[in-house]
Amino acid sequence: MTTPATPATTATATAAAPVPPAAVHPRPVGRGRVATAYRWEVTKLAAQARTRATLAVCLLAPFVFVVLLDRQDRLPKDTLYGRWVHASGFATPLLILGFAAQWVFPLLTSLVAGDIFASEDQHGTWKTILTRSHSRSQIFWAKTLAAATFTTAVLTVLALSCLTAGVLLVGHQPLESLSGTLLPPGRAAGLVLAAWATALPPLLGFTALGIMLSVLTRSSPAGIVGPIILGLLMQLYAFLNGADTIRHLLLVTPFDAWHGLLAAHPYYGPLRDGTFVSVGYLVLCLAVAYTALRRRDITGG
Amino acid sequence: MRMPRPSSGRLLRAAAAAGAVTALTAALAGCATDVTRPRVEGSLGPVFANLYVHQQTLLGHPGLTPAAVAARPTCHRTTPGSHDKGAGSDWICQVGWTDGTGRPQNGKFELQVRSNGCYQAGGPSKIVGPIMIRDTAGTSVINPVFEFDGCFDTT
Repeated sequence: MTTPATPATTATATAAAPVPPAAVHPRPVGRGRVATAYRWEVTKLAAQARTRATLAVCLLAPFVFVVLLDRQDRLPKDTLYGRWVHASGFATPLLILGFAAQWVFPLLTSLVAGDIFASEDQHGTWKTILTRSHSRSQIFWAKTLAAATFTTAVLTVLALSCLTAGVLLVGHQPLESLSGTLLPPGRAAGLVLAAWATALPPLLGFTALGIMLSVLTRSSPAGIVGPIILGLLMQLYAFLNGADTIRHLLLVTPFDAWHGLLAAHPYYGPLRDGTFVSVGYLVLCLAVAYTALRRRDITGG
Repeated sequence: MRMPRPSSGRLLRAAAAAGAVTALTAALAGCATDVTRPRVEGSLGPVFANLYVHQQTLLGHPGLTPAAVAARPTCHRTTPGSHDKGAGSDWICQVGWTDGTGRPQNGKFELQVRSNGCYQAGGPSKIVGPIMIRDTAGTSVINPVFEFDGCFDTT
């Protein structure tokens, strides 16, 4: 669009490139390219049936769960807030939060994170995407950001869906705090969302774990099942009352950090420690995955 | 495609790392635990007092305060050699409190304490009532002190 043309084309050109041609610098190689690759990765994810199905399940499953729970008299008392599911709609999202941490969260995140690198191996498309003037590290960060976006989207959809299902199907009665006091509905709703938000750091940790396994094993099944099995092993360790020092270092421990928010006198120690642990997993797994991808020999198919 | 083969040096390093982790686990196994008697007692007292006030309100005796209930738990584990610390379903707490009429009450609570600092407590139904109670409006509601959950800070 270098030739001066009709006002319409000029307007389009201005909208597309607000910087006058004289001031155009060579584009910074790093960020812009990552953003382009990221957009493509997100587009690819959005087109996948698996991604759409996961989001749809997250949206609908809480409603089915509440309806099924409503029909039976036995209460799931073993999980926190299980005894209050008929008494307050705000108990439902907290019950599901406690339950999801056991294996649902690792599954949801690794469905995408465990596949996003390995699928290029499966289809033999590494050479294709790397010849498109994008470096390996740009592709790495784009894919990692896309997986993190999916994780955040899944958690947000599930949290809002659980809260809506509880409030619509059970009601907005005051919620019993973990100290035995009653929380008014408005405050309970805020605390429920805050409690769900505390699951994001460990969930991103599991995302990084899935990415690492995806890069190292080059196989989607291993990348998807690996984080679930590791998560279950960590649960087992906590269940068998292993040494607490090691339990603090497990990636499933931060999923319990929300308990402190629901106390009459809230405590944030577990949340702080859990966030450190999650960031540790995140950095370590991404570093391993990044190094492995950089060093990989991609000359064959 | 060049397949990376694990060299003997890499295997040796992996074995050394596994050994270090095992040794660390063994060393830490006997270390301090998150679940201690002061923490269990410090949590159960206020939680029970709050829930007892709630129960009394449901039964039509409002005006009681947690401070007036003044729940005082004394807890211990029944397994010999447990030194009253650590997670387990063998925690027993003897709780003394003051009821709405000012009379002292005393009951034995059985606790299932998990390693993450949350517990499930079961009260003596002779004193705290059955699982379902009738409130002042005549509807059947959950008795808040028959069984209840609580959590304490483990950091």
